[in-house]
Amino acid sequence: MPTVAKVWIEEDCITCDACQDILPEVFEVTDDTSYIKADVREDGSFDRNIGFSSIKNEFRAEYSELIEEAADACPVEIIKFEYEGGVAEAVAEEVAPAAEVAAVPVAVADVGSDAGVLAGVLSGDRSLAIFFGSQTGNAAGLAEKTAKLAVAYGLEPTVIDMDAYDQSKFASHKRILIITSTWGEGEMPDNAEELWNATSASNPSLSGVHYSVCAIGDSSYDEFCKAGEDWDEKFAALGATRIVAMKMCDVDFDEPWSQWVAEVLPRIACVDSTGVFHEDLVEAMTAYGAGDEDDGADEGDFSPPSILHAPISLTMRIFRYDPIMAQSGYDTIAVALPGHATIEDALVAVKREADGSLTFRSGNIAGMNPLTGVKANGRIVPADTTRICDLVGNGSTLTVEPVPGYEVLKDLMVSYDRYDIARVDSKPWLEADPRQGERLASGAPMGVMNSADATSLHALADVGSLQLINAMSDTYDVDNVYSGPGIALQRWVRSQDPRSGDSHVKKMFGLMQGKGGVWDEADISSINRHGIDGSQAADSLYAARARLLAEFKFSGKSGRLVKAYSRSVKMSGNVNETTLYRSVLGPLGLGSNIMNGVSLRMMLGFTRNGGPLMRGFQGMLVPPAGIGKIPNMFNGKVANHHQVVAIFNELDRRF
Amino acid sequence: MVKYSYYPGNVARQSSREVEDTIQPLCNSLGIELIEIVGYNGDGGNIIKQGNKELQLALNARNLALAEMNGHEIITACASAQGILHDSLETFQNDPIALANANRVLERTTGMTLDSSEISTNHLLHVLVDEIGLDKVEAAVVNPLDLDIACYYGPHMQMKGACGGDDPWNPDYMERLITALGGRPVEYKSKTSSVGNPSLLSLGDSVMKMTARVLNDAKKAGAQILVSACTQSHSNLDSYQGKAGRVANKDTNIPVVNFTEIVAFALGHFTDRFAQLKTRAMMIGS
Repeated sequence: MPTVAKVWIEEDCITCDACQDILPEVFEVTDDTSYIKADVREDGSFDRNIGFSSIKNEFRAEYSELIEEAADACPVEIIKFEYEGGVAEAVAEEVAPAAEVAAVPVAVADVGSDAGVLAGVLSGDRSLAIFFGSQTGNAAGLAEKTAKLAVAYGLEPTVIDMDAYDQSKFASHKRILIITSTWGEGEMPDNAEELWNATSASNPSLSGVHYSVCAIGDSSYDEFCKAGEDWDEKFAALGATRIVAMKMCDVDFDEPWSQWVAEVLPRIACVDSTGVFHEDLVEAMTAYGAGDEDDGADEGDFSPPSILHAPISLTMRIFRYDPIMAQSGYDTIAVALPGHATIEDALVAVKREADGSLTFRSGNIAGMNPLTGVKANGRIVPADTTRICDLVGNGSTLTVEPVPGYEVLKDLMVSYDRYDIARVDSKPWLEADPRQGERLASGAPMGVMNSADATSLHALADVGSLQLINAMSDTYDVDNVYSGPGIALQRWVRSQDPRSGDSHVKKMFGLMQGKGGVWDEADISSINRHGIDGSQAADSLYAARARLLAEFKFSGKSGRLVKAYSRSVKMSGNVNETTLYRSVLGPLGLGSNIMNGVSLRMMLGFTRNGGPLMRGFQGMLVPPAGIGKIPNMFNGKVANHHQVVAIFNELDRRF
Repeated sequence: MVKYSYYPGNVARQSSREVEDTIQPLCNSLGIELIEIVGYNGDGGNIIKQGNKELQLALNARNLALAEMNGHEIITACASAQGILHDSLETFQNDPIALANANRVLERTTGMTLDSSEISTNHLLHVLVDEIGLDKVEAAVVNPLDLDIACYYGPHMQMKGACGGDDPWNPDYMERLITALGGRPVEYKSKTSSVGNPSLLSLGDSVMKMTARVLNDAKKAGAQILVSACTQSHSNLDSYQGKAGRVANKDTNIPVVNFTEIVAFALGHFTDRFAQLKTRAMMIGS
């Protein structure tokens, strides 16, 4: 279990004492807010710890679970913490504004049988303003929950604290939900009082607004839910259209709130971008939001699969780089969004709702853009077509970084100049053989190819983005000379193209075999694991290497390695590393290993971590000595060794 | 005792005898019986595959067929071997033409054929976590590790289906195991990055830079030692670490041990070697 390394208190503590009751050694509730105690902190301060001082090591294991419990118990969810290693459990607001929480600002394309019916109402502005008036945090919590549910109806909700809100902006919204408690004897909660007074004084026209109110209170008071009633009547009086009657909730507010949400969301979602309510679409919208719309199976043989996925909440860590200040780091933001939203959807939402300076490459509606790639939790993927739900689950952290191997221009945006330059240099386009091809009207030669050849040729590099294939290689970002596997694929395809002229094929082989070519890839398995595209690229790279070995007769170190390794296995059934080292490195290489300490490390026992020292010297003393890689150089032949030899003879007599 | 067909990989019985030294007693301590695959051959290391893909597949078909005859699932302690065996098996299970071709060769040369539908391949790490259980491992600890440990997985087995129930992209099985063994796992970002082992002998600086990246990341994260689940990559990480540091101009000085060694040490085997390791870790520091 990871242990909590940092804990801090955000604003809006309601001083309910819950955290102090659970863990008084860490939390102390003052008149205004909860504090993190000095004794457990590295900096020894006594405050909310918004400077993110670490918890002293000796307390971490003991208090970790109780801190998590306190955070869970906090009714307003303002206790935040971070695990050791920097993994944020509930980090927020490095970029999100404090008052307006960017809850679920993502709109996603709609697919399903109701999508056609609802297409009109689901297009354009889908914003939903959810205001809360809250004294103890209950209304704020319900507003957050409402926002998360609203996404399923294609809405883009924003949760807004009534405190300091400008009443003149009410009219800019087409869809408004109000969730408010009542304080004292029918009074507004503290954070709503000023807005109520200002609205009552100015009486702005709200004729274009559809709204509904959820009021929570205590029926033992005479003025039960009075604040909610006031807002409901005020909005109606100002010309707004009540879309669902006000819901009054007693102290057990969960069930009535659920009823209200189930009724109000599909109805307010049927208000289109011009402010017109389509009552005839409510039934379809209800089914759409519930995700159980008719799949159309009885309308034909083909049933399109649903791509909708349940909403998920996650923490996004987004790499940031400022080229002017030459500074980099990560922004962390808590977001909730539909699971079927793409990475790009999430980035667009963050840019729109939290930080307009965030920079990344955007796709387009035509399909995958090969340049939108990002590194998402270690995977190289196109941001515009990769769904969040395919990468992480609910409550997870999604780290988004620029793809490796390319120069970062700003934040997630990289320059693909390196790729473009290598591509231009290698000229992997068609140069037909004039003797065999057809001729264009201009007289220029044009190659010919049948459909079967075209299909197999296409399959050799059937990947979404050659630029991203480069980024999948763990070698590409440490070797500036390497043109990358994406370029190698193009050269390989052209060399196999029956339309290519002989001289062009030779040129492609030369480029693949030479410096920066296909042998510069140190480990194809680092590409192979990147899904279908990576696997396809790896297959083609292996095929290209096999062809080059035949073409260039196992020349060069890489060729010698393949030949010596294969012969080693054929001769004994296993790898004889001593012969391998000697055959591939040669006298100079072995001498280099002695000079640079590699052989010394082996012989003095570092590799065997205390194993018998004699083993280390065997490599020096017993023929065929490798001087650089050690025992057991005389590994005997495996049982039934003749079977291994027979397999080699059956399939490849070159070894 | 739970039984597995043991595939030592390409180097455990050659240059990395310490793996063979330690896997036997540790499995004994945890109730795992290693059944020898008599006459197993090298898996090709994805190097033979560069010259002839069908040849490497046929060699692995022989190993798989031998294990089928044993009647037990395969276990190995090398991530590279696990990746290659899994890759071959997956090819045979999904491509009947490849299986038929391999069986044609296999039958002519060995008299055996491969069924492939029942066999599976496993790395020891995933067997310990998924099958044996960390609670049982923890109960068997004799010498708690008490070290800050970085775990290296490499890329070879970090693919869906090849790494048990672990996450291929953000694995934590080894970290959980280290915790159960009384150590303190250290998180660092390149634990699944390649160190370029297949090209160790044929490429120069780039392999050294890839090796240095892993070692330096682990070191910067505060690790005292690095544990490798890949016996092949261990050669880069340990023997070549001085050269890698010089080429990349990075601090790479950190003790590196094989995965089987650290488990065996915690279970009370080779106390002298464990003492040496702790001394080295203490002297080098994080």
